Amino acid sequence: MAADNPIDPIHQFEISKIAPIQIGGVDISFTNSSLFMVFAISAVFLLFTLGLSKKSIIPNRMQMLSEMSYNFIANMLRDQVGDQGRAYFPFIFSLFLFIFFCNFIGLIPYTFTVTSHLIVTFAFAALIFLAVTIIGFVKNGLGYLRIFYPSGIPVYLAPLIVPIEIISYLSKPISLSVRLCANMLAGHSILKIFAGFTVMLGFLGFAPLVFLVVLYALETLIAALQAYIFTILTCIYLNDALHPDH
Amino acid sequence: MKLLSKILGITFIPSIVFAEGQKSAGLPQMDISTFPSQLFWLVVTFLILYVFMSKYVIPSLRTTIEERKDKILGDINEAEAVNNQASLSLKEYDDKLNSASNRSSEIITSSKEESSKYTSDLKSKSDDKINKMIEESMNRIKLQQKDSENQVREATLVAVKSIVSKYIENVPSDDEISKKLN
Repeated sequence: MAADNPIDPIHQFEISKIAPIQIGGVDISFTNSSLFMVFAISAVFLLFTLGLSKKSIIPNRMQMLSEMSYNFIANMLRDQVGDQGRAYFPFIFSLFLFIFFCNFIGLIPYTFTVTSHLIVTFAFAALIFLAVTIIGFVKNGLGYLRIFYPSGIPVYLAPLIVPIEIISYLSKPISLSVRLCANMLAGHSILKIFAGFTVMLGFLGFAPLVFLVVLYALETLIAALQAYIFTILTCIYLNDALHPDH
Repeated sequence: MKLLSKILGITFIPSIVFAEGQKSAGLPQMDISTFPSQLFWLVVTFLILYVFMSKYVIPSLRTTIEERKDKILGDINEAEAVNNQASLSLKEYDDKLNSASNRSSEIITSSKEESSKYTSDLKSKSDDKINKMIEESMNRIKLQQKDSENQVREATLVAVKSIVSKYIENVPSDDEISKKLN
């Protein structure tokens, strides 16, 4: 059985029930995935509770950290969307923090990476896709359809461009969710495989250990980067919805 | 040998995993039965996070950041005002310094003029005095010269008369002698 194999790289993604809950025949058990979602938001609570406990003009470290994260996302949103994006800031900020902390907590050995599950990332991507589409139609009416026909394209190219644009638009939630999930899945699997090599090779294990350390640094970067990419793409899609002419 | 078997074991991991995957629903990610639970807890946790962020964190951070911005702006304004005042007083000081130096140079020139005038006056006065004194002395010298000339003439006359009276009886008068002597 793979579960008994000490170096099964997929085992870490398995979902195990902690507290079985069934409502109307639907299984909504509290699982390890749910636990790590709770851990992720608890980490955010901790960061901001500590950061905002002693508010002062000259910030202490935790306040600095929370203000830096605030400014980072606020600037990203302002650069990508402009002032119109202010209304969506709480969502974008929460989204970034949730993905960031899920990715980072998942890097700790023996933990679970919430964002390595496609359903989670797809839920976010689908929500964003639907929200962006609705915002686009509400703000621009049918004019929102212009995004399928970029300005400056000759009319005779329209039969070619418009289907391509429609397909690329519809594939946005898939690419957005698969990008994050696949990065987490692949990264954590490779980490587990090399960790397994290190254990199994005994004395010779230092070679994969060195590789593991390097890979771990890379995965740390990817954890932050993927959270950033997910958030900035959300901002870009939001900008497309608010300004379809651009 | 043991090591070799381990290495072989590692090499076959993918096939083991694949075989295991075929037995169950494949990757845990593809196990649809866990989806409702994941989605439910995702919605719950994310909603809690969203409410926490939008109701507590963001307004609080916004006020802190804005307060700081206001404070910094206030400080900058204050510093600018102080700076303006400082440059104003510097200008005032410079003006005062300039006017003082102008005044002092004026005083210096005027006192120089005065002193040169005084010395030139003094000089001309003393020149006059000296000239007068020279003139007076010249006059006196001339008078004295005349006097002594007369005395010499008289003495000569007396001498001539006495010499002449020794050799001739008919002594010429004084006028005649003096005429001859001249």
